[in-house]
Amino acid sequence: MLVQDVMTKRVVTVSPAATLQEAYEIMQSGHIRHLPVVEEDRLAGVITDRDLRLATSLLAPAPFAPQARVGDVMNRTVLTSDALDPVEDAARTMREHKIGCLPVLEEGRLAGIVTGIDLLDALLKLTGVTAPSGRLELRLPDRPGELARLTGLVSERNVNIHSLLTYPEERECVRTVLRVNTIETRPLASALREAGFDVVWPPDKPCPA
Amino acid sequence: MPRVIYSQAYKAYDFGEDHPFSPARHDMLLDLLSELGHSPVLTEPQPATREEILTVHEEPYVQRVESLSRGEPVADAQNFGLCTADNPCFPGMDLAARWLVGGALEGARMITEGEEQKVLQLGGGLHHAQPGRASGFCIYSDLGVTIRRLTSQGFYVAYLDIDVHHGDGVQKIFYADEKVLTISFHESGRYLFPGTGDVHELGSGAGRGLKLNVPLEPYTEGASYLETFDQLVPNALEWFKPQILVVQAGADAHFEDPLADLMLTTRTYEALYRRILDYADRFAAGKVLFTLGGGYSPRAVPRVWAILTLLLHGWPLPEKLPPSWVDRWSARLSLNLPDLLHDPEASFDPIPRAEEISRRNRQVCDRLLEATSRYWF
Repeated sequence: MLVQDVMTKRVVTVSPAATLQEAYEIMQSGHIRHLPVVEEDRLAGVITDRDLRLATSLLAPAPFAPQARVGDVMNRTVLTSDALDPVEDAARTMREHKIGCLPVLEEGRLAGIVTGIDLLDALLKLTGVTAPSGRLELRLPDRPGELARLTGLVSERNVNIHSLLTYPEERECVRTVLRVNTIETRPLASALREAGFDVVWPPDKPCPA
Repeated sequence: MPRVIYSQAYKAYDFGEDHPFSPARHDMLLDLLSELGHSPVLTEPQPATREEILTVHEEPYVQRVESLSRGEPVADAQNFGLCTADNPCFPGMDLAARWLVGGALEGARMITEGEEQKVLQLGGGLHHAQPGRASGFCIYSDLGVTIRRLTSQGFYVAYLDIDVHHGDGVQKIFYADEKVLTISFHESGRYLFPGTGDVHELGSGAGRGLKLNVPLEPYTEGASYLETFDQLVPNALEWFKPQILVVQAGADAHFEDPLADLMLTTRTYEALYRRILDYADRFAAGKVLFTLGGGYSPRAVPRVWAILTLLLHGWPLPEKLPPSWVDRWSARLSLNLPDLLHDPEASFDPIPRAEEISRRNRQVCDRLLEATSRYWF
């Protein structure tokens, strides 16, 4: 998944000559929090709703007036992303610098913007339900061939895997979550247990008394 | 006298010997009712026509069902949910599926033309079928076609789905429809097929606030189920004021069901059916169409649906099951069937997280009511 797959392509921008009042109104009406500042087709900075609130706060040592210029308040050193960067690179940059957006540049021109919300959408896409499916969760030994054995057994039952998510766990295990196109997830889980897999979900049901 | 719709032709909706959605479930039920001396009068429907199917389903999908039904190969069948583990293809499946749709349509006709107030369609309840895709044992949406017929005649319809799986197909068909209230009680899609049915799925456009989902925790027991049911359903029906209630009466929330994880007993089902019949009288002018649905434990399903049929007719519930029925079906299925209609009081070991489960279910219901209240009032 690349930045270009999750970014917003039609970017709302503002000029450095605009007033803080105008920037505020653009954000309010567009329900957005980040405005790239563009001057003569070139990215000059970024101004966020937080910048506006801090700059104009009565608590600030010298609060800016609503008529002050965006260019006086914006961040000039802007971290950017490339449309072909993987989303995890964008996520790491934003996390490390604790920032909410990255303007995306293509040959020096603004081509899009990726925000924390876009990354949440990416997470939902990775973990979400895209087709009617049941969920299986397993603990696989962290060694070659385990996933192949698992998917082989699933395929033998003519069951399709819609999505597959794995992440490392303690004790040299890999937690693996599959979404499979069958309502018979329980019988599938039983078959996998019989084949020696550690199936975390669905668990065995308490037996009728 | 309430009516029951059934045809021997329903038996053709059969995915094969080892498939859980087995027509033997109807045979067991009808045989049990007969042995109890309470055979309902059965009305034979007609199969739905192709045109009726197309009021909900997309032409390319129907064409594929028809081709496969004739035994012709279809290269992209799996893209339409067909010839999969859940929905294997079989000769004649188009007509078999149309019979089930026809049964539900006949039930609706009886009610809207004033012949009957309460009807049970002894089959169908294919709530996973989507406009362009088979899913979860469901080829054509008997519920979708029937509800669409009702709304096109001007009726406001409340659809109540107590199958353990989310009624995703029906919800999808009517997601933006202001004439259809859908309420689905199911085990949370976080764990169970089809994965949808979260509280935040509230409908779109004019249908916003009219699609209600109660995703229950795995291992939810009867008391907690009924508590959330009481918290939501009468309020929603009183507010929506439906002219007819359509109920998908799946029996797979029973604790013995092999495909899911809720812990309802036959006693819960009795309480649930009594409530639904009462709500039909209070909030839907007495008009209710039941269909069957999921339910895969041969020990539980005939008892659960016998309770439904008996209560619907106002017939008494027996304590014991007829021994001849128990013996016959025990031998036929190589199973030990229970002697009593109801599950014993303590049917399973106490659920360790019961308190936590009830608390979470209450919270889910609260969140749903919070989310819908701004659309309702």
